[in-house]
Amino acid sequence: MKLSARPLAAVLPLLLAACQYQHYQSDFGKGAVEDTQFLTLFTIFIVVCAVMYLLVIGFLFAAILRRGRIEANVVESGRHHESHPLMQSTLIGWAALIGVGLAALAVASFVTDRSMAKAATNEKLSITLTGNQWWWDIVYNSADASKTLRTANELHLPLGVPTRIILKSNDVIHSFWVPSLAGKQDLIPGRENDITIVPKRTGIYRGQCAEYCGTQHAHMSLVVVVDSYPDFIKWWGHQLQPAPAPASPLALAGFKYVTSGPCSSCHNIGGTQASGQVAPDLTHLASRKSIAAGTLPMSEGNLYGWVEDPQSLKPGVKMPTIGLPPDRLHAVVAYLETLR
Amino acid sequence: MSSPSRVSLLVLGAAALALAACNREEHHSRAKPIGETVPAGESPDTIFPGSSTAPPLDPRAALYDNNVNAISQGQQLFMQMNCVGCHSHGGGGMGPPLMDDEWRYGGRIDQIATTIAEGRPNGMPSWRGKLTEDQIWDLAAYVRSLSGLPSKDAVASRSESMSAGTPQTLTPHAEMNNSDAVPQ
Amino acid sequence: MRIVQYRQGTQKLWAPGAGGFHGGVMRRVTGALTVAILSAAATLLGACHRSSSTQSTSPIAEGPLPAGNHALPPAAAAPADDGNWVMPGKNYAATRFSALSQITPANVSKLALAFTFSTATNKGFEAPPLVVNGTMYVITPYPNYLYALDLTKPGAPTKWVFKPKPAAASQGVACCDVVNRGAVYDNGKIFFNTLDGQTFAVDANSGQMAWHTQLGDIQRGETITMAPLVANGKVLVGNSGGEMGVRGWIAALDEGSGKLAWKAYNTGPDKDVLIGARFKPFYPMDQGKDLGVKSWPPDAWKIGGATTWGWLAYDPETHLVFYGTSNPGPWNADQRPGDNKWSAGLFARDVNTGEAVWHYQTTPHDLFDYDDVNEIILADIPWGSGRRPVLLRPDRNGYFYVMDRRTGQVLSATPYGYINSTKGVDLKNGRLIYVADKEPKAGRVTRDICPASPGAKDWNPAAFSPVTGLVYIPHNNLCMDFSGMQANYISGTPYVGADVKMYAGPGGNRGVFTAWDPINRRPVWEIKEDLPLWSPALATAGNLVFYGTMDGWFKAVDARNGKLLWQFKAGSGIIGQPISYRGPDGRQYIAVVAGVGGWAGAIVSAQMDPHDPTGALGFANAVKDLPMKTTAGGMLYVFTLPR
Repeated sequence: MKLSARPLAAVLPLLLAACQYQHYQSDFGKGAVEDTQFLTLFTIFIVVCAVMYLLVIGFLFAAILRRGRIEANVVESGRHHESHPLMQSTLIGWAALIGVGLAALAVASFVTDRSMAKAATNEKLSITLTGNQWWWDIVYNSADASKTLRTANELHLPLGVPTRIILKSNDVIHSFWVPSLAGKQDLIPGRENDITIVPKRTGIYRGQCAEYCGTQHAHMSLVVVVDSYPDFIKWWGHQLQPAPAPASPLALAGFKYVTSGPCSSCHNIGGTQASGQVAPDLTHLASRKSIAAGTLPMSEGNLYGWVEDPQSLKPGVKMPTIGLPPDRLHAVVAYLETLR
Repeated sequence: MSSPSRVSLLVLGAAALALAACNREEHHSRAKPIGETVPAGESPDTIFPGSSTAPPLDPRAALYDNNVNAISQGQQLFMQMNCVGCHSHGGGGMGPPLMDDEWRYGGRIDQIATTIAEGRPNGMPSWRGKLTEDQIWDLAAYVRSLSGLPSKDAVASRSESMSAGTPQTLTPHAEMNNSDAVPQ
Repeated sequence: MRIVQYRQGTQKLWAPGAGGFHGGVMRRVTGALTVAILSAAATLLGACHRSSSTQSTSPIAEGPLPAGNHALPPAAAAPADDGNWVMPGKNYAATRFSALSQITPANVSKLALAFTFSTATNKGFEAPPLVVNGTMYVITPYPNYLYALDLTKPGAPTKWVFKPKPAAASQGVACCDVVNRGAVYDNGKIFFNTLDGQTFAVDANSGQMAWHTQLGDIQRGETITMAPLVANGKVLVGNSGGEMGVRGWIAALDEGSGKLAWKAYNTGPDKDVLIGARFKPFYPMDQGKDLGVKSWPPDAWKIGGATTWGWLAYDPETHLVFYGTSNPGPWNADQRPGDNKWSAGLFARDVNTGEAVWHYQTTPHDLFDYDDVNEIILADIPWGSGRRPVLLRPDRNGYFYVMDRRTGQVLSATPYGYINSTKGVDLKNGRLIYVADKEPKAGRVTRDICPASPGAKDWNPAAFSPVTGLVYIPHNNLCMDFSGMQANYISGTPYVGADVKMYAGPGGNRGVFTAWDPINRRPVWEIKEDLPLWSPALATAGNLVFYGTMDGWFKAVDARNGKLLWQFKAGSGIIGQPISYRGPDGRQYIAVVAGVGGWAGAIVSAQMDPHDPTGALGFANAVKDLPMKTTAGGMLYVFTLPR
């Protein structure tokens, strides 16, 4: 099998980028209250089950070692081990232990579930997350309609604020999963699910689509950035701004092409005439940390590669390979770089 | 079973598989870029002066005409590029119906691709420069499926429309008329 | 109305919310059986009323018709009838009432054809012919020919034809057939709009063009289909394109030169909407700064619809122009949270400067395409010891509004059709109250929404008779299933995001003709029609009301009790305004152009395929049988009594 350099080149920055994520997709990240609740339950389960497991193993070894010292079963004699008083009380105690253990697990489960549900009633922020093949469409809802923010592939959450994320899908079943923050919740077409997250720690977390949704399911990741509340408000305000006007002539040429050519059929850039709604919003593309839902880390070089030939990096993705001539490619990337 | 007949059975099976592994499932994700002209398809009624013959069918037609991925991707583009806003799900409205057997500008896949790329008088927009050639041919393949023209193993067996239309495997085959004499 | 809900196809039994989703199989089977029996019974009963030339007239309110103390049009807006017909609404008050009374219930059965004229078009014909001192002017749908016919000569020969030659590509951005709603005569000129967004002024005698002005841009999806209003030296024109992501506006051109006097947008910042110091909306929901921006997500107002494709009215006493705005775009409301001002609402503007004086948003954050562009009838109604100047409006959303035309206050909003999508209008704050269950959501089908998108009544205007005091409303009885989806905006293409399927409402009849008492707020008599009624009405002083059906029956009914007195089968369905005029020989004539089309008749005029129920934004399913009942055409019919 020939090892071409390209896939390696794509993977390498990913490995390096992995360092910037907090607890790279780790269930033990404790980034949010939900994850902490889950971890508590997980710990209880592990402990109780470990104790039972060790006891069982202990009894098994004891039985194996004792084997050699006891005479053969004397069933004919009518003596049964169960009628031995010590054995009887041990077994009763064992059954009781199992009962208590199961009850403990049940109660722990119930309590965790109720506390998660309680957290879900108190939301202060509402986000609508729509899954598409293979990107995330994010809308921050606001009582003031003119403050509604639409972005894509990167979710920002404020620290300590209960956030309700409404989950919808435009095509097939996806699943929202940011292990360090919360458990999985499916995005089902024709249905609205929701999940509430109360982040506890600032940082950058990585999430993943957790339900097979087509060829590029593996490249449908989500970057979640937990900011402090003032930083979050500043970010929201900045993202509401329309795209800055291009300054350099190269960026201007790129602007003209992007807003009137095939890009504008699908993409929206706020404040310009590109108002397509069926692809990720690009208004502040260059401020994001990844391209194409976590496929590549954001960098000028990666932008070049993505714009030139998305099909080689994410084969089957809905964005077509246009085949731009080099001058136009330079102009387009120069313009996209200005979209901070 | 004796050895020679088992071998011949295997050979027959392999041959059948090879034949079945045809264009239908091929996925052209690395299609040719914009820049190549879609040929101006002639209608069946076009007169060729001097008794010359009509040009042959564009070779790209074979790549898209009965291709599962092309029809499926064309269906998504049909919604996204607002074709459904003018043509509904084939019934027409602002634009003529696409599910019947009347084709104003021709119903061959290359003629449909030309219609999409160049636009037509009376209101069909021109998509050259707004869609890639691959996307245009995908759309043309899907438009043909609205009148049941591709083979039934290349089309979806479930209707994606919310209003529960007929699935494409049951769409009746509306043979293209030789005449495109449709009142404007 | 479970019967109506289940009759439309078996898949409803499995729809969430229809009761079958979590129910047991046995329950579904017995339920289906009951439904089958009941619906069969209902169909049989309904079949009795199915034939197009018969109808069931049902008087609803007993007692004498209101006389003396009833609504009257204001004299300034409705001057004495001179036998001409110079604007589609007859006068600024939009009464569509002719004071000629030669034709009466006693002699209308003898009404016969005087002459006919083929307009050489076969698209939806919505415009009335105009009659000015012995010449009849006929404006056709695309290609918008203007004919002048000489009524003084036998057979009304053509004097001249004016052909504006609009761009053929404009046909591709006209949502609902390539119609034209009428021309206007004023000061020796005929004014009309063309599909590709131009306004023309043509000399009424010679047929020579006086001026033309390009106002709309088809590249953005704009067309113009409305009839202009000429008042105080200004020609008022508005655009179409609420389904194309167009930004709506109204413009005033100078009558003499065609130069732009002012232009007001219907969405966006206050300075674009010409909202200034004079703007005093009555209700708090319409008060605030830059609401045309604040009630939309960022930038959505630029492609938000709110066009001006319908009817304008004018009050010469206050110099106020009244008009309604269309639905917001896209239809999929999830993409545009907020009230979406100033869509689906009513504006009052100063005709000289365009300044907005008041606004009432009839349907905030519209969910169902309830445009607000219907006709606005000016009337003075008894109020306390005197009279109050009001507007009478049978609205798309199913309510008959009576509003104070000085302030925009809603005095009453009474349903004149079956409504389950809204609960009513809160008269304290003016807001329409939605029913939460009927709110469409993207990715899901919401079923049995009544009235359907064309509303209880669409563009086709009612007539108001000061003799009987009643408003004669030709309208629909349709319900729909609606499923929203993400709409993509590409300029010059539709921006809708919805799959719709319409069907008959409760009762099974798709059309209704209602005689409505605006003072007592109730129907007086009603005629059920098989097909939706898409034609306007004409009322005469002879106590007759004329209207046409979509399969071509032109009917005269008694204005007092709705009794059918005369009918004529035209060559094509009728969706055009009938008029009445005094001919050069002094006799009363009735004229109408028959040419089916428009949104309701697109299945015929656009040769659609009825197998797709979502065709024509859902209308194809409601009138699947129309191609069997009529064909396309464009023929003028003029009737009179025999000598």
